Amino acid sequence: MSTFIDDLSSGIVKREMVLFFVIDQSGSMAGENIGIVNNTIREVIPELKTVGGADVDLKIAVLLFSSGYQWMHTEPVPVENFVWNTIQANGATDFGKACNELNNKLSRSGFLKSPSGSVAPAIFLMSDGQPTDDYKESIEKLKNNSWFKHAIKIAVAIGEDADTNALAEFTGTNEAVVTTHTGEDLRKMIRFVSITSTQIGSKSQPAKDGEVQTKQEDMVQQVQEFVQNDESLNQDTIPTEEEHW
Amino acid sequence: MKDFESGAKIPLEFSGDATVISRLGSGGQGTVYKVSLNDKDYALKWYHPNGIKNHEKFRRNLRTNIKKGAPDKKFLWPLYLTEKLYESFGYVMDLRSNGFSDFADILNAKDKDGNKVTFSDLRCMVNAALNIVNGFRQLHRKGLSYQDLNDGNFFINVSTGDVLICDNDNVAPDQESFGIGGKPGYMAPEVVCGSVKPHAVTDYHSLAVILFKLFIRHDPLMGTNYVNSVCITEKKELELYGTNPKFIFDPEDSSNRPYAGVHNNPIKLWPMYPKYFQDAFIQSFCGGMKNPDKRLPENEWQKLLIQLRDDMIVCSCGTPIFSSIAQFDSKNISVCKTCGRKFSKPMKLKIKTFEVNMFPKNKLYKCHTVDNSDGSDDYITETGEVIQNKNNPGIWGIRNISEDTWLMKMPDGETKQIPPGAVVPIADNVEVTFTNVTGKIQK
Repeated sequence: MSTFIDDLSSGIVKREMVLFFVIDQSGSMAGENIGIVNNTIREVIPELKTVGGADVDLKIAVLLFSSGYQWMHTEPVPVENFVWNTIQANGATDFGKACNELNNKLSRSGFLKSPSGSVAPAIFLMSDGQPTDDYKESIEKLKNNSWFKHAIKIAVAIGEDADTNALAEFTGTNEAVVTTHTGEDLRKMIRFVSITSTQIGSKSQPAKDGEVQTKQEDMVQQVQEFVQNDESLNQDTIPTEEEHW
Repeated sequence: MKDFESGAKIPLEFSGDATVISRLGSGGQGTVYKVSLNDKDYALKWYHPNGIKNHEKFRRNLRTNIKKGAPDKKFLWPLYLTEKLYESFGYVMDLRSNGFSDFADILNAKDKDGNKVTFSDLRCMVNAALNIVNGFRQLHRKGLSYQDLNDGNFFINVSTGDVLICDNDNVAPDQESFGIGGKPGYMAPEVVCGSVKPHAVTDYHSLAVILFKLFIRHDPLMGTNYVNSVCITEKKELELYGTNPKFIFDPEDSSNRPYAGVHNNPIKLWPMYPKYFQDAFIQSFCGGMKNPDKRLPENEWQKLLIQLRDDMIVCSCGTPIFSSIAQFDSKNISVCKTCGRKFSKPMKLKIKTFEVNMFPKNKLYKCHTVDNSDGSDDYITETGEVIQNKNNPGIWGIRNISEDTWLMKMPDGETKQIPPGAVVPIADNVEVTFTNVTGKIQK
């Protein structure tokens, strides 16, 4: 028995980060889309186990919305214990209810109660349709939530019918919304956003030159670069605000 | 661009192709692959097209480093540059050998599969620290700086303390910048604030963070202020690590102490180390935080780590004890806190500036027994070992395991040659002339 080495065998305290998947499981997602979501997230979870290294304890929370909303688990689950439960598609697209519920849980009394301190969460929204409820008031409330303000927010518009304006209202910028045209696009984006968003802030960074980038700006830049370097994703990307005439 | 598929051929500058075998992992600047080249396996780091700023300048620097060669065998140094492909390029280096763990796994005390990762004993851990410190000493002695020192740069053999240093592509002549800033938590505050680019003295800060994390298993700035911040926003991070960094054990400012019930490692481990070792961290993270020139250079760390190793004795139950902070009674007897065995205050070999505990299993190294006026301290090659007499375990001696013959002088003036394999009895006032240095054993 060597006490010193035993005393050294408690892992280092890390900061907590929660990755929120906010997923539209309305009826229109049925078929290939919901299949790809189930399959890709299930495949990417094991890869996420190592992204936090000795810096970040990553937890996962999944908010599903259709006619109403539902959390996959009652609280954020450490990635090493996370089990993806297969989701099914049916019902309406109550995006406003999802925003309300997200606002409730983005608090110290909700899902962000790490005693060691947390970094702002990463929130990854996926939807293929138009909100069927009145979401405006809910999204305004959510935008005033401090955790939400500082969060990394990325949205994937699945196919051409998705309401990219609603998604851009959520992320705060058009540039954080990527439209996927094929199942393969969707698979690539889920993987890229999940891995990249959880690594921001715990990877080596370029030396600061003038204005400091926020994590959201860093993430948006990486998403844009990823899209530009991908032939399939690169078609019909959402124009930036400056390009609207 | 997409990841390379298995079988993809990457042309190297000057000649040959590296064939991709598998993808090993991805970081901020690029992706690392296992590749095959001339029937041998290597690692290839391939940069994300936007992973580095000035491709040409960066490439030129890499080419220069390849030409110069590694500062020391601990470095997994760039060996070959690739040609440019898909608006990017990469370089080939040796793969890490088997038996080496990620430093992050050591800090987590487990690997990704949940297997325990701990050092075999404290001596191995001190040796690992010595190897890390010495690696960067060799690099800085060549006028280079590492620039992105963090927990992802090392692989450590937890059974031996051997270290491999990877990610050497940002190494540049000191004061020259190729765009890297560093990893949050490891960057010097002046780099976090953006007032300077990384250089050798900012490396000193990062190295002190690495050592603090290794010995104390905690971030040196993560205390009460961190916990009270609730959400660590970019602004808060800049304050805690850049504009107003406060060491958790600052003797003059207790406002950022570890938070009881949350930061258990520093609360438990900090008091277990001798004051001279604590003082080195205090100097690095208090004075050195405001005045970078007060940070400890590697040779100072190296001396302190050798002192820590010399100060250590190991009870027969396996518990390491630093004799300088053990409580001895009036008869110079102390008790092991783990097993309750009593032990006497060990005699010391006083040699050069070192004081080595003469306690079974303690070792002498070349840095103790050989003159090192050239400044090189060989803390690895063992030259002597404290042993117990088989028939009478109460009699201890130093076995000569060097290739030189030593000269022993007893207190009465009698001298005796100690050839390799022979033993010097440990007794008060015995003098030993090792290879070319003389030391004295004293109570």
